[in-house]
Amino acid sequence: MSIDCKHIRNFSIIAHIDHGKSTLADRLLEWTGTVEKRQLKEQMLDDMELERQRGITIKARAVRMEYTHKGEVYELNLIDTPGHVDFHYEVSRSLACCEGAVLLVDAFQGVEAQTVANAYSAINLNLAIVPVINKVDLVHARVDEVLAEMEQSLGLDAADVVLASAKTGIGIDELLAGIVERIPPPAGDPNAVLRAMIFDSHYDSYRGAITYVRLVDGTVRKGQKIRFLETNSTHDVLELGQFVPQRRACEELFAGQVGYLVCNIKDVKQVHIGDTVTIPGDNGATAMPGYKPPQRMVYCGLYPSEGENFEELRDALEKLAINDPSFEYAPESSEALGFGFRCGFLGLLHMEIIQQRLEKEADLDLVQTAPNVTYQIKKTTGEVIEITNPQDVPDTGQIDEFRQPIVRTNFLTPVEHIGPIMQLCTDRRGVYLKTEYLSPTRAMLTFDLPLAEVIYDLHDKLKSVTRGYGTMDYELIGYFPADLARLDILVGSKKVDALSIICDRRDADRRGRSIVKKLRGEIDRHMFEIALQAAIGTKVIARETISAMRKNVTAKCYGGDISRKKKLWAKQKEGKKRMKSIGSVDIPQKAFMAVLDTGADRS
Amino acid sequence: MPAGRLAGARPAIVNAMDSAVPRAAYVHVPFCRHRCGYCDFSLVAGRDDLIERYFQALGRELARVPEPLCLDTLFVGGGTPSHLGVAGLRRLAAVLQDKLILAAGAEATLEANPSDVTPELVEVLREGGFSRLSLGAQSLAPATLAALDRNHTPDDVRRAVEAGLQAGLTVSVDVMIAAPGQSLAAVEQDLEDVLALGGQHVSVYCLTWEKGTRFASLLRQGLLQEAEEDLEREMYELAIERLEGGGLEQYEVSNFARPGHRCRHNETYWDCRPWEGFGPGAARFDGRTRITNHRSPVTWMHRILSGADPSGECDQMTPEEAARERIVVGLRRRDGLVRGEFAAASGFSLDALAGGAILSWVEQGFASDDGQRVRLTRRGLLVSDGLWAAVLGQGA
Repeated sequence: MSIDCKHIRNFSIIAHIDHGKSTLADRLLEWTGTVEKRQLKEQMLDDMELERQRGITIKARAVRMEYTHKGEVYELNLIDTPGHVDFHYEVSRSLACCEGAVLLVDAFQGVEAQTVANAYSAINLNLAIVPVINKVDLVHARVDEVLAEMEQSLGLDAADVVLASAKTGIGIDELLAGIVERIPPPAGDPNAVLRAMIFDSHYDSYRGAITYVRLVDGTVRKGQKIRFLETNSTHDVLELGQFVPQRRACEELFAGQVGYLVCNIKDVKQVHIGDTVTIPGDNGATAMPGYKPPQRMVYCGLYPSEGENFEELRDALEKLAINDPSFEYAPESSEALGFGFRCGFLGLLHMEIIQQRLEKEADLDLVQTAPNVTYQIKKTTGEVIEITNPQDVPDTGQIDEFRQPIVRTNFLTPVEHIGPIMQLCTDRRGVYLKTEYLSPTRAMLTFDLPLAEVIYDLHDKLKSVTRGYGTMDYELIGYFPADLARLDILVGSKKVDALSIICDRRDADRRGRSIVKKLRGEIDRHMFEIALQAAIGTKVIARETISAMRKNVTAKCYGGDISRKKKLWAKQKEGKKRMKSIGSVDIPQKAFMAVLDTGADRS
Repeated sequence: MPAGRLAGARPAIVNAMDSAVPRAAYVHVPFCRHRCGYCDFSLVAGRDDLIERYFQALGRELARVPEPLCLDTLFVGGGTPSHLGVAGLRRLAAVLQDKLILAAGAEATLEANPSDVTPELVEVLREGGFSRLSLGAQSLAPATLAALDRNHTPDDVRRAVEAGLQAGLTVSVDVMIAAPGQSLAAVEQDLEDVLALGGQHVSVYCLTWEKGTRFASLLRQGLLQEAEEDLEREMYELAIERLEGGGLEQYEVSNFARPGHRCRHNETYWDCRPWEGFGPGAARFDGRTRITNHRSPVTWMHRILSGADPSGECDQMTPEEAARERIVVGLRRRDGLVRGEFAAASGFSLDALAGGAILSWVEQGFASDDGQRVRLTRRGLLVSDGLWAAVLGQGA
């Protein structure tokens, strides 16, 4: 079926987590007849099991719907976006494929940090915004206040806001009409040179990489050759089509449309989100703006508990990387942990997801080191190196400048919690920028904070000081010099490389003390005394001792007792799984995370 | 009523040199006047009405043994065997004598509550061939006895020991340390008092907080406190020093004896020689497999009397597993293990099974090794539970 550009609308739904984005998407699929109600799995678009479990959208998806408005048939392409801050870049590329965005706000929760962040991303890309307040049927709905917040914080006109309930269907017709009427059709010339943007991909074990594209100019046909600018690789288009929501093949896609390409690509690493697709040869289109290589912000070491499982771990990582080009891994070795991998992630959530998949799909016992952000070091030679592992920090004498990533962080909170948030941020060496009032009761605070201080526990702390009402979002603004140092941990006078961290020199005493204290709690008493030390270079700054086990001998061992006691003794061995022996000290997996203890209860 | 007598003029029917035939037997008597708060043993308290059925069941269980067994050691434990009283003990001996015969010079022990022991009861024991009296004294301090829920007095203990010794029996006294509220000084006093009693054997037990006991639930509720690990260690070391100073040599984790008075029955367990067992919760061992009867006295009786198998848990070992177990129970003894003896008895080389572990223990000061004999040091003994995982291996 052919349709002209004027009858196409490309849009995303943007919202804070839990404001009902997936439910709204389901309702649109049902309302437009794309999916019959009885086939509608709840939250159709979140089709990965993990996403379902966690109620979050990790990967972007695209669905084509048909909608008849005033007697004319429209093609609506809904491009779903991930809802977590780890995936900022992916969100921005998905939005870049749209002419409009449905901005969804919960009628009770109101405007939150990700609402603001996502709305500004959309506004900056010149998208038409269709604002919606969801869950208006809730008894606690506070529609008037939320309207005021939207006007105040986002500069939207309250008269434009659609009042809806994705759950019951209130306002869905009005919303669909709004999408058609307020979002402009795509511009673009179907007869120009092919120019399309990749906004997502996934791996299909039969077809290879499935590449998600938005055509900006030109037309792509089955059987033609195409070229990816970033990798400069040429491929045959074996199949192309749209998601309805399953893949449905067609003969061609033209400017303005959204769809997929199957090109027999065996390695998803060739498919870069944000890359431009055009024709082979010298007459191709130029690259579209905004492309960035995946930026891994968080690294950690993953080691098999049992050294002999190294190959199995490698296979499992390889399998995961095929599906997820933003995840990266490289072999490394640690004196303490043996052979393993340094793994890079977009953020902490991304790391957790990968780790869960590994344990679930590969059934491997892993020891994970504490995550760290990436740092930059400008050496005295002028060379700038990137540090993804604290072990790679060169001697102080070779360091000219030690830089850390800084993020601009917005907090949205009821005004009564401003004080505690200020405290939280100043404790973490944040730089205060501004406070804006959304309404007499809600405010937005902006701080520049070291990313390292943000990712570990700031979100949890924020929730606790605001009784769950505060939300936050952040964006990397760059690497800035700071007075940083590597803090080493010695267990029984042996340096355990996997326990080293990078921290602000002014925090080193506190961090060191809190880490060795935490370790003392995590490591069981042994047959001998164990000294725990924190040191910068050769200077010891904190020390704790785990005294030797004093008495551990069971008494009665007569007759039938022996069978029972044997189980008891064997259990002491069972407990040693998931531990790493360093020297003769057994260190449990949990202890490797002890270094995350920031000593944050900084009283 | 004729008293049953276990030691007999009858000739040993089975060959004493056949090492697969047990020469030791344990009989469990599951009756007590009341259950002490720390006790999780197989017993019923205040159900003397079951005693007659118990004898019937015991007789039936003994019938499992095809030919009478000639025993070097017999141990009648509980529960409180002395709770059966003079008549009950005569009856017990009569039930046992069909299948259990004491060899000349055999050791036969009866466990007793000090308040049950009278000169008459001791006389019945002597008639029955018993040579040893094991007293559940626990302490000679009224406060500790009360804390432990015991219903006898320090004087009961003194009288009982005297009665036993006077009748020519070997007397063993159980002592509990780390009881709730017990101080180091109280332990010191107890040890002095126990030595003064003049018995030939002492067993020392640290109070353990077993799941399901009243003490365990009081501990959970915070109404009782466990002794600190350091205090427990001091008490235990004090016990070792005082008892050895008083002429009782430590020969196993919890056992101390004057020369020639070790409990030969318990040494059977630690030598991994076979033994027989009768009664609820009693175990038997043929060198490879250890079978434990159902722990509930009522279930045990019911099963036996209805012709069913009373066995509960069954611990079946490969020869290697049995050899590994032998290392552990062997090293818990002060004599330790001698390489040649170990190899002859188990069929395995000690070093093949545990050479690496032994080497590291010696390095860490937990064991000594003169090339032949391996023994735990005091230091090693104190933390020995943490050593065994390395020996028992994956199969354990």
